Amino acid sequence: MLISKRDKILFYLLLPPATTLLCFLVLTILVISSISLDSIQIFGIKLFISNIWNPEHEEYGLIAPIIGSISTSIIAILTAFSLAMPLSIFIAEYLYGFTKKVFSSIIEVMGGLPTILYAMWASTYLVPVLKNYVMEILYSQFSFIPLFSCKPITGFSVFAAGVSIGISIVPYVVAMISEAYQSIPFAYKEACYGIGATRYETIKMLVSIAKPAILASLILGFARSLGETTIAVATVGNSMYLSSCIFAPSYTVSALIASQFANAYLYRYAGSVLYVGALVILAISILLSFLGLTIIIKWRTRLVV
Amino acid sequence: MYAIEMKNVNVYIDKRHILKDINLRIPYNSVYVIMGPSGSGKTTILKVINRLIDLIPSSKIDGAIYVLGFDVLSHDPYDLRRYIGMVFQVPNPFPHLTIYENVAIAAKINGIAKSKRELDRIVKWALEKAMLWNEVKDRLHDYPHQLSGGQRQRLCLARAIAMKPKILLLDEPTANIDPVNARKLEEAIISLKDEITVVMVTHSSHQAARVADHVAIIYDGKVVEQGPAKHLFLHPLTDIGQKILRGEM
Amino acid sequence: MYSWRKVKDRMFFVLILTISILAITPIIHMMVAVLANGFPMILKAGWGFFVKTPPTPLSQDIGGIAPSLIGTAILTLVSLPITIVLALFSAILVNEFPRNPLSIAIDVVAKSLASIPTIAVSMVIYILVVVPMGRFSALAGAIALTIVALPYAYTYISTVLGSIPLTYREAAYSIAMSRWKTIVKVLLPIAKRGFAIGILMTMARILGETAALLFVVGRYRTATSISIIEPVDAIPLLIFDYILTPYPIMQQIAWASAAFLLLIYITIFIAIKIIVKEVRL
Repeated sequence: MLISKRDKILFYLLLPPATTLLCFLVLTILVISSISLDSIQIFGIKLFISNIWNPEHEEYGLIAPIIGSISTSIIAILTAFSLAMPLSIFIAEYLYGFTKKVFSSIIEVMGGLPTILYAMWASTYLVPVLKNYVMEILYSQFSFIPLFSCKPITGFSVFAAGVSIGISIVPYVVAMISEAYQSIPFAYKEACYGIGATRYETIKMLVSIAKPAILASLILGFARSLGETTIAVATVGNSMYLSSCIFAPSYTVSALIASQFANAYLYRYAGSVLYVGALVILAISILLSFLGLTIIIKWRTRLVV
Repeated sequence: MYAIEMKNVNVYIDKRHILKDINLRIPYNSVYVIMGPSGSGKTTILKVINRLIDLIPSSKIDGAIYVLGFDVLSHDPYDLRRYIGMVFQVPNPFPHLTIYENVAIAAKINGIAKSKRELDRIVKWALEKAMLWNEVKDRLHDYPHQLSGGQRQRLCLARAIAMKPKILLLDEPTANIDPVNARKLEEAIISLKDEITVVMVTHSSHQAARVADHVAIIYDGKVVEQGPAKHLFLHPLTDIGQKILRGEM
Repeated sequence: MYSWRKVKDRMFFVLILTISILAITPIIHMMVAVLANGFPMILKAGWGFFVKTPPTPLSQDIGGIAPSLIGTAILTLVSLPITIVLALFSAILVNEFPRNPLSIAIDVVAKSLASIPTIAVSMVIYILVVVPMGRFSALAGAIALTIVALPYAYTYISTVLGSIPLTYREAAYSIAMSRWKTIVKVLLPIAKRGFAIGILMTMARILGETAALLFVVGRYRTATSISIIEPVDAIPLLIFDYILTPYPIMQQIAWASAAFLLLIYITIFIAIKIIVKEVRL
């Protein structure tokens, strides 16, 4: 392809504002990494395998928040998927015209709502409901399973945080799954009906075609849950407690940072340790985003009819 | 001197060899028709002339192309396009501009008109030449979507000639239009050749017979026949050329 | 055999319908609860809601959220134009030169940045702006919000630009328009509705962002401030702080603010729907 001189000039003029996105990313990684370096050099691997938050004695171990972040995100994505997948299919297959537009619009609105609203609602309404109708039942019947082996006291827990975050990302996951599902060329649907399949069987077929894209949506949803702060602070219990039971209060990295950052300046290494936590979830989040996006791009190129 | 000359031109898109060793000479102020079956590369030839092929990122061009004496491959394409107008297969008037503005914008940005009065004059002239004036003179401030397909195509023709080009490229301009409008368009095209060199692509040999002064037949990316229309129609040199002229390919 | 397949088909529909309703219910309940709890509180505060400062833990008067309102307004007014301009130029570059490695990089980075923990942005701006300046400020907040909103704005705008049919670009070039003129006189006007929606969606994102502001604006809510280099408050921050306190009067103002925020959002989305309805292309 030939490029004229005028094109080149335009390119270089557009370059500075356009590269700001890249600069932000690079800056973020640089700043967080360099501040983390301080405490990583002092504490080393202990930061990642011990569980302690004692700034007065300069003792830190982030394993509880890290595991907390990961487990809340897993629960979140499981919740979101079980709700979003049927909802996406419902909108794509069983709704037409006006109702479809109304539904899609409502979901779009919900997706744009600030998470602080979800946080308020979850801490006031959802957590008690979960505690009384889900957690206590699971505890009383299934406490032999390590996941359910502790008595829920306040309800604020990894489980509550996971479900709350999961509900908040349902619109996001619905949007991604719907987009993928509806970009499957109509020809495949025609082919299914053409051989006499029922609607259920056709949907099964289309879903299996969309599997990589659905997987990618889950990965991206997980990356998003990792970073969720306000809902986590409001529902996770904010305690450095690590156990296999998901009904116990715990921490996520973002909740820890939100609670402890303001006081961190009083201590030598507290701030740096918090940056280490941020670095961990930042790295996981970016890597998973890349992974999810790559899967979707590869999937789209294979969709050509 | 020829208006357009192509010497040993090869064009590749996505590694596929679309145009193979093309040699063409298009004289000034004539109607030059390029014919051939679908997919033979006719549109690509047009897009090479005004470098619209640049919009396809994976394209590669070899060879020499001269338009009005300029070397197309090294001259600034934006400057060159000032002298080359184009009408596309599917009418594409700007939807956000009125009928008047669609024609006017071509003249304005190329500095053809210096005042509102001159602009009005050029818009009227262009629409008359495109045989559209009588149908739109009372609704110049309507939008293109209120016109029929045939009228939209004539609007595109008016837009193309409003910048007073020396060359006009037409890519199967009547392909998507009803026969009555198609006839009107053909008449308009023929009337332009005194001032403009017209290069038209078509796959209808009947249309070619009606309008052409010169003809080139393209098959599979190669020039199969080339010459004055009357001569070619009566004495095609090759087998393929014959078949295409008879409408069998 | 055929009727068993039909039964499965029916059962599937029922299952999907049930879970879909289950999926939508919490969110609808959330919106209703926020309005039900908050709207009466707004009425209780009356016009004072917009001009008074927030209550102290034991005060009787519910007060208002004037500092947070002004703060949110300043942050949005500064951050939104910068975000849109940067996003627009980035989207134009990627749209005009799609095969360039830089364009591909920008595209991928934008989509990845959309999912990063926003609290990390707050931590970065703290180091880069707050510490050198020696104080919290609205400026730091605006920069943080720009970083958070930029990927979203870029994605909307580049989708809008990319969905303009190629033929209009060809038409523009064919009348000898330069690239820049084509962008300004043809592509952007054709895309203007999508562009307007992009701006509104970006504004929605900026208005509700909490975590990115946590460590950069200072939560100054004892008086209103309009200076960009002074600490400031924001509505989501106020809600975040107050909802976790045990004092009823502060929780009330938090619910009131939440209802107010929700109403703003609903207004924005109605505006978007009105714009969409007028697409004529």
